[in-house]
Amino acid sequence: MATRDKSSRRFLSEAQSAWLLLTPFLAVYALFLVYPFFRGFWISLHDWNLLAVAFNPDAKEYVGLRNYERVMWGRNIEWGALASPALQIIGVLGVVIAVFFRRMRRMSRTTAIALGVASAMLFLLPGFHPGEGGRWFDRRFWPTVGNTLVFVGLTVPGVTVSALVLAAALNRETRAMAILRTVFFLSQVLSVTVVTLIWQIMFSPRQGLIANITEVFGGSPIVWLTNEQFAMAAIVITTVWWSLGIAMILFLAGLQDISRDLYEAAALDNATGLKAFWYITLPNLQRTITLVIVLQIILHFQVFGQSHLMTNGGPNDTTQVLVRYIYQTAFRDSELGRASAMAVFLFLIMGGFSIIQFLIGREEDR
Amino acid sequence: MKHVLMTAAAAATIATGAFAQEVTLGRFFGACEDAGTDTKSSVGEACIIQSIINAASAEIDGVTVNTLPTDWGNFYDQIKASYAGGTPPDIHVMHRHRIPEFAGLGAIADLSGDLAAAGIDTSDWAPAALDAVSYNGGIYGVPLDFHANLWHVNMDLMEQAGLVENGAPVLPSSPEELLAHAQKVKDATGQDYLAADFAQFPIGVRLVLALMWQQNANIFTDDGTATINNDAAANAVTAMTQLFDAGLANPQLNYADSQQAFLNGESAILVNGTWVVDFYTAEAAKPEVGLNNYYVADFPTLFETGATWADTHMWAIPSTLDGEKKTAALKVLAFINDHNVDWARTGHMAVRNSVLESDEYANLPHRSEYAGTASIARDTPPSERYGAIQDVLNRELQAIWLTGKAVDVALADAEAEVQDLLDR
Repeated sequence: MATRDKSSRRFLSEAQSAWLLLTPFLAVYALFLVYPFFRGFWISLHDWNLLAVAFNPDAKEYVGLRNYERVMWGRNIEWGALASPALQIIGVLGVVIAVFFRRMRRMSRTTAIALGVASAMLFLLPGFHPGEGGRWFDRRFWPTVGNTLVFVGLTVPGVTVSALVLAAALNRETRAMAILRTVFFLSQVLSVTVVTLIWQIMFSPRQGLIANITEVFGGSPIVWLTNEQFAMAAIVITTVWWSLGIAMILFLAGLQDISRDLYEAAALDNATGLKAFWYITLPNLQRTITLVIVLQIILHFQVFGQSHLMTNGGPNDTTQVLVRYIYQTAFRDSELGRASAMAVFLFLIMGGFSIIQFLIGREEDR
Repeated sequence: MKHVLMTAAAAATIATGAFAQEVTLGRFFGACEDAGTDTKSSVGEACIIQSIINAASAEIDGVTVNTLPTDWGNFYDQIKASYAGGTPPDIHVMHRHRIPEFAGLGAIADLSGDLAAAGIDTSDWAPAALDAVSYNGGIYGVPLDFHANLWHVNMDLMEQAGLVENGAPVLPSSPEELLAHAQKVKDATGQDYLAADFAQFPIGVRLVLALMWQQNANIFTDDGTATINNDAAANAVTAMTQLFDAGLANPQLNYADSQQAFLNGESAILVNGTWVVDFYTAEAAKPEVGLNNYYVADFPTLFETGATWADTHMWAIPSTLDGEKKTAALKVLAFINDHNVDWARTGHMAVRNSVLESDEYANLPHRSEYAGTASIARDTPPSERYGAIQDVLNRELQAIWLTGKAVDVALADAEAEVQDLLDR
């Protein structure tokens, strides 16, 4: 009798209740993420004018993969092993390093594969170029991808290193440190419009703080936002300042997980300060560092506001980034199909990094 | 019977709008918090237009106007997205150059049948204004102004350089003279001759376009062939770059910085539109502002034919709007049309003959100084890709003066990209 009572009270199995609890999330996820993604892909297979289709649903035309071709390919595209030597040589070196360290067993399998694949891409992709009388159909797409990569390549190490240094310095239980932690996190709370406004004033050659400081030291102020050499640096600095907070909090959490005993033991072996940081803190933070780096990469590939509001992608397109190009194509030019094709490309890049994170996470779990 | 009468009366009150119709309005021109309803005393584009809108909301029976928050730089993106989402504002401002794009797709309404009933007399519009809002035989909006690039002049700096005659500035009539004048100003005052936004909005593009039109050239033909990589364009560009190379003008200033340079008295000329005349007049009257003696001149002719970039602001109604809402929206348009002279206080040129001929208009500050602008107003041929084409030109021209890209390479790139846009 007793067993029967129990089973009748439990009218849902564990699996059933799990599904029930998951349903709200799955419904929202499917409606706002999965469905739009597949619809986006479907749109990318059409010649789809934003306004025309809004007024006449039949105004779209199925074109297969032509949008992808128009965006990424060109006429008479050739491949050469030394078309852009610098990048391709770095790519070859990357492959060599990956193979070498894997042979020496100095590198884990996943890291070696990730480095190897990334380097191979670096060797392969820049090799494409228009041959005699050829041209890219879209002359701005690949330079824009390049700018986005430069932005990610500068911002991610910038955020990671400065957040790590800050976290290590602020990881003390005094009131002053608690206040400083809050102060450094505060910038994260601001919206992109506020952040870019603050930094536009900072960078202004006429009234900006930076210009005033340079003038005190007798230099002539840099016109940050319209100078080809400094425009990208300016939006990178802004972004690092803006997105330090989350990375710092993650590092602080990681730091607090490291046992005090380790530091005491190290101190007995005369390893304090920098040495302790290098031999104790860094190795124990490895997982957090990986997490922060991958999260930052995925986040910063989606950069838009800084470029759109501070430099309008200029000068000479040097700060034009992928999401801004997608936005312009969709809303300024009304070419939704083409824009969706670029968005799918961006998804593939970010999906690739997510897979890397997944693989690394799984390997370390073992 | 009593019942029937009462129901009918109730229905009638609802139908005639015992409840005020709310009309949503989308516009650029910037934000003005406390514009009030006095259309005669507000200063600057943002506050003048908002005071007219507020007055419409207060004075038209049964209609309230709700101005939507919109940002200038992204206005068209936002408007298009709202059309695509099926929720466009009931009235919105736009440029005449966007008519092919919006009317071509059937987004905005042909108002030719509605204007007379709404009390808008199209025969009072200047012919060029009617032409500006006409497309394929229809009238797609109510014109608000003509606006154009002008030369704003600091007379004190010009005087010191000996470039004032009979109370008017002496302006160049050739690229060579431009350079000579610029050198004179530098020698006499140490200041730059010319400032403009060469680094942000397409003001520099409009300047180069004007210099191309002055040579009877254009950036593309009516049949869609890009014509940018040629001598006319190179002449136009080098007329400017010679000033940058000689250190007589600074290409790195954006809109706000170039304006500030002019108001600080650091530049003899500012190339900017009609929209700032009343603002600069007000600024020049302040003792703490470097600019004291302000003058407005027509864009000078440096080549054969007079020409300056010009456009028209206009108000449009979505084609989907009907019934009471449309009647209410048309009332607001009629109100704005009636206040054309108030909008002209910004410095813009009026569109109604009755205003153009009025003393009130003629007596607006500096109005007589740029009376020639109306006759040299120009724009590119109509295109659905106007915005994208301007962006290409802005990018390539900025590449020339900000990053030192070779003129012929930049012009060739611009021509190829504009051709791509025209072919799409």
